[in-house]
Amino acid sequence: MKVAYYSPQPPERSGIADYSALLLPALAERIDVDVVGRRSRRQRRRADVSLYHIGNEPEAHGWIVEALRRRPGIVVLHDFVLHHLVAGMTLGRGDGGGYLDAMQREAGPVGRMLAHGVIDELLPPLWEDRAVEYPLAGEVLVSANGLIVHSAYVERLVRDSGYREPLWRIPHPAWPAPAEIASVELPEGRTIIGCYGHLNPAKRLPQLLEAFALLRRRVPEALLLLVGSLSPGLELEPVYDRLGLRPGDDVIRLDYVDEARLLSACEVCVNLRYPTMGETSGIVVRALSLGRPLLVSDVGWFAELPDEAALKVPVGEGEIPAIVDALELLLRDPALRRRMGDAARALAQGEHRLERVAEAYVAALEEAAGGVMVQDAVLGEMARAAAETGLAANGRALSDVAERLREVGPGR
Amino acid sequence: MRIAVCAPQVPFVRGGAEIFSERLVDELRKREHEVELVTVPFKWYPGERVLTQAFLWRLLDLEEADGAPIDLVIATKFPSYVIRHPNKIVWLLHQFRQAYELDRTELGQFDESAEGRALRRAVQRLDRVALGEARKLFATSANVADRLERSTGLPAEVLPHPPQELPYRCDEYGDFVLSVGRIDRAKRVELLIDALGADASLRCVVAGEGPERDRLERLARERRLNGRAIFAGGVSEQELADLYARCLAVYYAPVDEDFGMVPYEAFLAEKPVVTTTDAGGPLEVVGNRETGLVCDPTPTAVAQAFAWLRDHPDETRAYGRAGQRAAKQLTWDAAIDRLLA
Repeated sequence: MKVAYYSPQPPERSGIADYSALLLPALAERIDVDVVGRRSRRQRRRADVSLYHIGNEPEAHGWIVEALRRRPGIVVLHDFVLHHLVAGMTLGRGDGGGYLDAMQREAGPVGRMLAHGVIDELLPPLWEDRAVEYPLAGEVLVSANGLIVHSAYVERLVRDSGYREPLWRIPHPAWPAPAEIASVELPEGRTIIGCYGHLNPAKRLPQLLEAFALLRRRVPEALLLLVGSLSPGLELEPVYDRLGLRPGDDVIRLDYVDEARLLSACEVCVNLRYPTMGETSGIVVRALSLGRPLLVSDVGWFAELPDEAALKVPVGEGEIPAIVDALELLLRDPALRRRMGDAARALAQGEHRLERVAEAYVAALEEAAGGVMVQDAVLGEMARAAAETGLAANGRALSDVAERLREVGPGR
Repeated sequence: MRIAVCAPQVPFVRGGAEIFSERLVDELRKREHEVELVTVPFKWYPGERVLTQAFLWRLLDLEEADGAPIDLVIATKFPSYVIRHPNKIVWLLHQFRQAYELDRTELGQFDESAEGRALRRAVQRLDRVALGEARKLFATSANVADRLERSTGLPAEVLPHPPQELPYRCDEYGDFVLSVGRIDRAKRVELLIDALGADASLRCVVAGEGPERDRLERLARERRLNGRAIFAGGVSEQELADLYARCLAVYYAPVDEDFGMVPYEAFLAEKPVVTTTDAGGPLEVVGNRETGLVCDPTPTAVAQAFAWLRDHPDETRAYGRAGQRAAKQLTWDAAIDRLLA
């Protein structure tokens, strides 16, 4: 079976490029994969099925959505909320009409009016703080013959949106834990809490800093390590001042450290999130591989992590005290951290094991490539048998047959 | 309880699975249950026929019969477990192995076309749904349970069943090796014929019928085995018991077999079993130098194993008797207690 594979690729700096770099070799061991690059943008050979990796970033995924429109196929939906992508592919290219149409498809006349408000600069951009209300996933779903998602959360959102085509839930693959990890130079005698990734308000950084300031009073040896680029407009110094946190002593911020080095230095990995776009987190999966206990927000995919490996805190009311309590519990109980780390590693080596994920991809792609032919053949044989005995294809007697078929296989 | 035991049938073919389902019905009846064997013919080729024939089971309504409820269905092998019932137990003999470990082997069925690959996946999906519905899942061997868990993620309790009832006895450790079972490629009787080619002093009796019989008889003639391989065809229960009673040892080396009743039958006749390292289920029963010999799947190794048994009568007898002790521990009382618990 030949698969045309559309995805951002390294050296592009994107989580989905990293994802594909991990998955592709394992897939290529099992099926014939034709990787379609951003520049080629065209399949070199006829494929049985096309696979499109789509996330919320217009620069990284716009060309993939265009290819999907030309040749429908299977979409790996890395984010459910695609408002930013659609805005970039319409307004970002001077296509106001496209954005109006997308918003109208999503929310009817009200959506169109809101889009007008954005275009006329009467309203702030919806993708900045109302994207979750208007995810605009329909733009992609309409061309998807089938979907691969990473969480029950996104599966539910997709089905609730009325999507009825086949869907496969396949966990994010785990990176193998490196054999050797160079250490990071950090102050000795400190207990390190790590927060890694692009630092923006959706990572709940203000809440984390506030919680950490409270935690420091109870656990003075705690040190917060923030690694990653800082979102424009997010200034940390005033927050440090207000909370009495000393940069370089209580909080260390680094632009970049190799993820494995960082995570191995941390006692606890924090990955808070709200709102969620339906994404998974590569850094959380890396933390699982390295056996690090996690603290996450109780939302979306993060809420589906097993309690044995991740403590979860609510967002909104009670969030800050819950973060403080959870971190204190983890920092004061090495045995708990060990148990959670073991559970995390077991999860990475089980459900998220690369070979297992690659097998699940192959199964989904094989079902997608020939599933309609199988369905037609089975239903054709059933219909012939019915017709030969005088049963009308749309008769009541056959509705029970169709229902039973739907329960176990290719019914429709 | 009113119980329907569900088993597919391949018309004109009879083997261990058929013996098992009939015996299960008998044993349940002995325990004063009202039991019926429900069978539907099964043909798994060509193409999508494997699915359409499986779906026939889904269309059956076994929730009640003649106005009275059926309390329990016990399904045995693919595709009988596709049956729909609120109280379904599966005692799994095997899945449709061509969709799993036999895929892309000479025993496979699905080609490399997109339709062939999707058909295989459709069988797997069917299994996940149909087996996932079962209130309890049992497998006849650890090999079957492992395959099930690997392929569907569903755990099953291992529940072996006793072999068919025969007047088992041991008269002697004679001068021939016995092969029992359906003669098809998966049972790998050819390896035994090849072993006879490797050792001119070895003799065998092959009891059973199957699509490979003519070819193997031809092969024996070509190898000039000069009557050392006797194809006895289908034999009666009495004849089979006689063969077990008189043979030196029993050959049983299918390719990754599910369970296989033959080793237990051999043991009840106090005969050791020679099997191979890749035989699957039999390896759970045949302990090397305990109840038989486990050798490489090569003609020379098989021939040497039987020659060793012939030359070591004390060990041969001891292995047979150890097997008998193990086989006697398998009882229908224990099996049915667990099944209906």
